[in-house]
Amino acid sequence: MPREAFERSIEEINARITAMGAATVDALQKAMFAFRERDLDSAKKIKKADVLIDIQQLEIDDLIATTMATQQPVAKDLRLLLCAIQMASDLERGADYAAHLAKATKFFVQEPQWRQTEILEQMANIGASMITGTVNAFIGRDAQLARQTSLLDDQIDHLHKGLIKEMVLLLGTRPDDAEKVTKFIQVSGYLERLGDHMTNACESILYMIEGIHVELNT
Amino acid sequence: MMQETTTRPSFIIETKDLSIIYGDGHEGVKHVSMGFQERNVTAIIGPSGCGKSTLLRGLNRMNELIPGTRTLGEVWYSNKNIYGPSVDPVVIRRHIGMVFQKPNPFPKSVYQNIAWAAKAHGYSGNMDELVENSLHKAALWEEVKDKLKKSALALSGGQQQRLCIARAIALQPDVILMDEPTSALDPIAASYIEDLISELRKDYTIIIVTHNMQQAGRISDNTAFMLLGDLIEVGPTKKLFIAPEDERTERYLTGRFG
Repeated sequence: MPREAFERSIEEINARITAMGAATVDALQKAMFAFRERDLDSAKKIKKADVLIDIQQLEIDDLIATTMATQQPVAKDLRLLLCAIQMASDLERGADYAAHLAKATKFFVQEPQWRQTEILEQMANIGASMITGTVNAFIGRDAQLARQTSLLDDQIDHLHKGLIKEMVLLLGTRPDDAEKVTKFIQVSGYLERLGDHMTNACESILYMIEGIHVELNT
Repeated sequence: MMQETTTRPSFIIETKDLSIIYGDGHEGVKHVSMGFQERNVTAIIGPSGCGKSTLLRGLNRMNELIPGTRTLGEVWYSNKNIYGPSVDPVVIRRHIGMVFQKPNPFPKSVYQNIAWAAKAHGYSGNMDELVENSLHKAALWEEVKDKLKKSALALSGGQQQRLCIARAIALQPDVILMDEPTSALDPIAASYIEDLISELRKDYTIIIVTHNMQQAGRISDNTAFMLLGDLIEVGPTKKLFIAPEDERTERYLTGRFG
């Protein structure tokens, strides 16, 4: 079978992207847990998980480079590999934001629970859904799911903007907490950018499937 | 009604409903209508037996050398149908030259290989100049300038193929047809020819049949995909290799058949 080696590579890429997606969702959920519970031990573990996700990305890149060099793919096959590179890169960035979120825990260890943490949790949950939807759209070559998933980014953006407004008001009433408020806004920004990266990944999935560049959620 | 303002690419050769039928009734090329852009490299790809070489030979009436072959439709070049009654195929082949898969130099000296063809077509200018210029254009001069009187058959395969290209160039053609010009060469000799094709496209229109899709991707501006005698898709090479429009092109390029 002339395509056997190529199909084997694609199966392996699918499996690795799936694993990377699962690891990124896990890191995000655990980071959110650590942040909410002020759990520094859990937060440290996210850093280690992030290193492993970085390695996963490099391994996927190597696998794709080998497939390109040995199989010289064109057309749909080429677009699939280009998309897989983008997927791995966006998932890696997603995991970085999870690690940043975990790292921010230390700024709030002495703090009582902030009401706005609930908003961050909502954003993290939507972010996790976006990661899952993106990976499923990639594996299933599902353009409709990619489009649906990218729409979730609007919800994250909406929550992020609302949270910034609240934080600005908070600054007026609690000027001594300026540093923590700023950090909180930063954390919200990490989750907002995670949504952007998943939208990017969805765009590259549409390019893989349809062969045209589509700008989603502009 | 508004005037249509879309600009059409300038075609040096254009086929109109071209069909080529072999003596046994097999239709090698079926109703192909397409244009070849001037000073461009167009690659014709497709699985074995798809009609790509037959189409190529149809562009300078070479199929007529195969007994029983019939050509229907038209091939327009220089404002005339080359299959028209008053057209001399020999003149057409001077303007639309051909380089074959296997280098086929005459068993004569390097110099004579070029001079003979030119003389046979009535060239009466400075022959030394023509030989040198043609060899320069074929990127062969430096390698053979001290061996002009030596037999062409003593050259390497890659050099012989470039000599054949020089021979075609000596006739000052507009178009050079190439039928798998590198398939009999080693990769290094093939890469010389590929570089040469990229250079020649500045002055000539090149139409190349190739089995090597990567080669088509590397050297051509446009690519045509043929299947079972039909022209399936033609367009910019970049577009065809990244996002072809026809599912059959996609399947061929990705190795799902052929």
